[in-house]
Amino acid sequence: MSLQRDPEGFEKKILHKFADFAGKRILEIGCGEGRLTWKYANASSLTVGFDPDQDAVRVARADSPSALHGRVHFVQAGASHIPFSKETFDIAILAWSL
Amino acid sequence: MVHALEEILRTLKPDGILIDLRPVESNWPVEVSSSAGVQESGRLTDLPAALADDEAAFYAMREAESRSWVVKKKEEEFVFYYYWDTPSEMKEFMEVEWDGFEKLEEDVYQKTKSLWVSANADARIRVRVKMLITKWDKSRV
Repeated sequence: MSLQRDPEGFEKKILHKFADFAGKRILEIGCGEGRLTWKYANASSLTVGFDPDQDAVRVARADSPSALHGRVHFVQAGASHIPFSKETFDIAILAWSL
Repeated sequence: MVHALEEILRTLKPDGILIDLRPVESNWPVEVSSSAGVQESGRLTDLPAALADDEAAFYAMREAESRSWVVKKKEEEFVFYYYWDTPSEMKEFMEVEWDGFEKLEEDVYQKTKSLWVSANADARIRVRVKMLITKWDKSRV
């Protein structure tokens, strides 16, 4: 299939205009297969992506570059219970998920 | 949704920020794009489930703001394009991925095919999705 999403990169540009990810701890809700995650995770010190779709999370984990292992984690879960203590993250992203 | 927002905000540091990035319904235009230019063939039809999702999302953020959980800092609209090589690929995608949310009416599909076959060889089909990004500061209240 020939589908292309946002080949112009408008989403990445505006995301970085709205937040500075350098050295930050990021929580992404609705990470899916990690399409958006890979646009900022390299700058972060920690990224945790949540998604209820098990297949999508499996793809995201499989696509995770070795350079980011240990810094990027994907969890199959919704946002109703986030198993992290309070005040853990600098930035939370609702990625097409609200 | 409001409960989920409360849980997300619990895990944010006191000076943390929340980025809400999502499409918003607006009968997204279908276009034929080529080196010769862009022609609109019509618009998708927003279905009730999609409109209800939008309303629920806006309601959740209004609630979070009214409860002083967050303070809006910045908001912008931008476009996000989906591209396909052919009209049939676009139709197939919509029937699988956007079923129940967006409808490609038959007259729009036929017009898209007509514009596509008469366009330059490099013509592709695209849907122009209206996006909204909002930056919220976690309230210290």
